[in-house]
Amino acid sequence: MPSNCTRREWLQSASVLGGACLAGAAFTPAFAALAPASPVSVAKCLTYDPKELLPVMARMFDQLGGVGKLVKGKTVAIKFNLTGSPQARLGNLPLSETHFTHPAVIAAAVNLMAKAGAARIRLLESPWATTEPIEEFLLQANLEPRDILGAAPNVEFENTNYLGKAKRYSRLTIPTGGYIYPGFDLNHSYAECDVFISIAKMKEHVTAGYTGAMKNCFGMAPVTIYGSDAGVDEPALTPRGGRDPFHYGRRQPSKSAPQEKNRNSPRAETYRVPRIVVDLVSARPIHLSIVEGIKSMTGGEGPWVSGGAPCKPGVIVAGWNPVCTDAVAMALMNFDPMGGRGSPPFEDCDSTLKLAEDVGIGTRDLKRIELAGTPIHDAVFDYAKIRAARRASLWQRIFGGKD
Amino acid sequence: MSAELTPMRWPDRWKNASALTLLNDSPINCLVADPAIPESVVAEAKQKGLTIVDPAANPPGVFITKGQWPGVQALQDKVGAGPTGNPWVDSNGWSVRLESVRHPGDRVWVDARPKGLVSADSYALALADAAAYGGRWIISLDDRFAANVMVGKRDAVASWKKITTAAKFFEDRKAWAAYAPEAVVGIISDFAGDNEYMGGELLNLVARTNQQYRILLKNKLSPSSFARLKGVIYADATAPAPAVKNSIMAFVREGGLLITHPKWGLAPGLRAGTQDNERYWWRTSGKGRIAFAKSEFDDPWVIAQESALLISHRYDLLRFWNGGSVGSYFTMAPDRKRALVHILFYAGFGPEESGVRVAGNYRSAKLWTLDGKSSSIDMIPQKDAVELHLPAVAQYAAAELELQ
Repeated sequence: MPSNCTRREWLQSASVLGGACLAGAAFTPAFAALAPASPVSVAKCLTYDPKELLPVMARMFDQLGGVGKLVKGKTVAIKFNLTGSPQARLGNLPLSETHFTHPAVIAAAVNLMAKAGAARIRLLESPWATTEPIEEFLLQANLEPRDILGAAPNVEFENTNYLGKAKRYSRLTIPTGGYIYPGFDLNHSYAECDVFISIAKMKEHVTAGYTGAMKNCFGMAPVTIYGSDAGVDEPALTPRGGRDPFHYGRRQPSKSAPQEKNRNSPRAETYRVPRIVVDLVSARPIHLSIVEGIKSMTGGEGPWVSGGAPCKPGVIVAGWNPVCTDAVAMALMNFDPMGGRGSPPFEDCDSTLKLAEDVGIGTRDLKRIELAGTPIHDAVFDYAKIRAARRASLWQRIFGGKD
Repeated sequence: MSAELTPMRWPDRWKNASALTLLNDSPINCLVADPAIPESVVAEAKQKGLTIVDPAANPPGVFITKGQWPGVQALQDKVGAGPTGNPWVDSNGWSVRLESVRHPGDRVWVDARPKGLVSADSYALALADAAAYGGRWIISLDDRFAANVMVGKRDAVASWKKITTAAKFFEDRKAWAAYAPEAVVGIISDFAGDNEYMGGELLNLVARTNQQYRILLKNKLSPSSFARLKGVIYADATAPAPAVKNSIMAFVREGGLLITHPKWGLAPGLRAGTQDNERYWWRTSGKGRIAFAKSEFDDPWVIAQESALLISHRYDLLRFWNGGSVGSYFTMAPDRKRALVHILFYAGFGPEESGVRVAGNYRSAKLWTLDGKSSSIDMIPQKDAVELHLPAVAQYAAAELELQ
């Protein structure tokens, strides 16, 4: 269980790679070979009915060696995914069945963490341009926060898109130096926890190709500092707008926060977004990753993406290491996690997985990852085939030729 | 008399009395006569039985209010966005509702003339934006459109037909005007003097959040004023009179929420044990709570947004998805056996796949559109609510629901 480690332990191991990088050495496959590997569990699960879901997730945690040693007596922070507006959905489908992390999966994880001895569980997300409580955001999406809050004692939400309940932002620095930023100022919840968990939805992503456990952490960054309407000198008091500066680098974060390392680096979002995701995950290491693909969508990360369609992969992935977990999730989508720029789903962008592997967060090489539960070939949902057909159709419509 | 009148402002371009034939088979039976209207038109109109009214004076049973051309401002002016970046919507619905409360028994007419050239489709929106709320828009055409109708241009005539069909739609459903608004929040004010701006803007901007509200004139409060409300907003610039204060606090003691600010006077109730809001002190009284603002109210948009959270979206009567710039008005028949959700798409058209959750338990639903047709509608039962899946419709639709 190499990556089931504390932030301090991770920092120590990362310093081997980071030291080399900071010394000016280029990232190479040699560094990638050093990236840790850890087990990943795969399970088929067709519904969000707790009668099916809870035993499945309990079995997955057992296959990983149990979560007790990770969470017992600890404050657990869980970042989940509520991307976009609560009023925007794909067709008439519930948002949780296409692009939000489903509350039933969060509730099951919360329940199992509590049974394993977690002292306190904090549920974190930065909903679109608002300071409103997460509970209110969920209600607008027609989701019931009590289903999650009632799953265990000592469970609470916090909106991390702004300062929230703290007096100041917490600075998390990147031991390897960072690709774009040397560190981030984040809501206190990301620092004041013993264990950090990412529960994501299995999806493609228009900018980053794939979104899972790591890309979910893009939403950790408060737009009061990193948004288009962030304060210039100090963070804005309230979040407005999106994280366009992360995408295009047209402005810097509030001056109170760590600034970009190299303002002459490419401004293309397909270059920046994967790197910033890795920077965020480097600053705030993930102890447990869960990628939920019971029901999801193809074509992108939310209903605003043209050509998006609902799908039912019927699968959950969980692992200690976010790169390993995302690699397995990609394989379940019939994408090659070893692929780089140019390879689906990274036709137009850099691979977040490769960039993460390069700085030693974890390996994406399936040959090095111990798999538990359902074999990948028994649980594949072919996103790749649907993607290829969609792109060919689009290409045909626009250019009358082949992609 | 007023209830039977469907008013129209006679276009300058219609010089000839023969243009009155354009009103044949339409519900338009009243001309608002500008001074320039030709005598021959007036004479012929009277002969046809049309009522001629002077726009300078409110006809009997009518109150005329000045309005804005409704719609999404960004589309009209290529400027203007709300604080969230969402398109700013102009609507006269709040004004119709306010004047209807202030002038009970009168029909409110909206005098909103097109600013320059407007899209032909926006006329139906202007008409629905008044009629859905129980008012009547004084049908007013821009010069070019009026001229095109006059000379019989096919597109213009078709659009004119849509306007008159829409007017007939509401004339055929006069009973809807007697339906009472369902509400979660009451807005208490005299809506006059120093309180006119804040009170009016609160109505306008609370409506933009699709919170369903009730207008409560503070000198006419009674226990029934608060029926089924979860909260009330008191944002006036002066403290309420003792009787008003007593009425409001009786509502609070029974479990309601009061949202107010230091102009109320001494903060009522007791300080609550939990304080979790940066802008409000929480206080309690009986079974209810008071959200007492730490500073005086100054921005109605902020209050409108905050009120939805202070009351909680848990009590939303309507929740929309994929609605775009949607407006709504939820009413109930006097016998409470039938509910009606007026839905206005201010961008001029409804999206392909929009939906609305309607609180309550219903056995059936149908959707009315301005062409007078009704259709069945997918109704998905939920806990204490139903979700309606709406087809793409232009400008306006009304969901009529039969309660269980």
